[in-house]
Amino acid sequence: MSNNSVSNPHPNTRRSSQRQATRQLLVDAALRVVAEHGFAGATTAAIAKASGKAHGTVFVHFRSREALVDEVVREIGDAISQRLAQTQSAVPTVEEVLDAHLAALAEHEVLYARLLGESATLPPAARARVFALQSGIAFRLRQAYERELAQGRVRAIDRTLLANTWIALTNHYLMHRDLFSPGASVVAARRDELKACLLQLIRS
Amino acid sequence: MSESHCVSCGSCGFPMQAPADFAGGMADSAYCSTCGDEFGRLRPYDDVLQANAAYYEREQGLHPAAARELARALLASMPAWKSADPTRPLQS
Repeated sequence: MSNNSVSNPHPNTRRSSQRQATRQLLVDAALRVVAEHGFAGATTAAIAKASGKAHGTVFVHFRSREALVDEVVREIGDAISQRLAQTQSAVPTVEEVLDAHLAALAEHEVLYARLLGESATLPPAARARVFALQSGIAFRLRQAYERELAQGRVRAIDRTLLANTWIALTNHYLMHRDLFSPGASVVAARRDELKACLLQLIRS
Repeated sequence: MSESHCVSCGSCGFPMQAPADFAGGMADSAYCSTCGDEFGRLRPYDDVLQANAAYYEREQGLHPAAARELARALLASMPAWKSADPTRPLQS
């Protein structure tokens, strides 16, 4: 790419880039508002104020608050999914899947806890994303479990029980993080305990 | 560490990492193995809806009707299905 094209991009390209930047600014502001006040407190007025943009700007980029909430949930889900992919090895063990999941939760703990706590009140697509994310975790966990089962390293248990025990366990600690680890990351404080619970369930 | 970035299925958003995650095992497919066929192409909407509902049921034990509604809501928000009518009845 020439210097000229960098300093004088085509007007349409520049406008598109500005538009994308404003859209991302709004999503980032929404993430901050959700972290502080929850989804219920994330009104379009609050998000506009946090972004430094006019209220009407929100609706230039998102047809409704529901669409903006869906985008926020997509951002959180994508970030967690990407971190979940960073397992210690390409063919991970159960323990490595748990480590990657806990690392993902630790990095996005506040937002994910908000998401869990308010899941039932979210727009349908956003709620579906929460369960899609959880199904992804269940899928990775089951794959690793079945490899270890074939190697005789773990005992046979129901696959849904395995996945839902792990999801329920982590969700329980996250949703009550103020009680399990006041003022600090519950995942950081309890990660070894959480992991040990699940491993105890499957190891003979 | 394994690869640090994975792409998402354009139909359901599933993060695709290993070759087996991609439709037909083809790493250049835009779709996952649930939503795409053996040639990497997107399967018909009703098939994808059924497969995604079954995925929710299988992995988390959701009630079949709830799983189908979740799958329908998810697909309606995805790029591949923006033009699909999420309210139309499912073909049997």
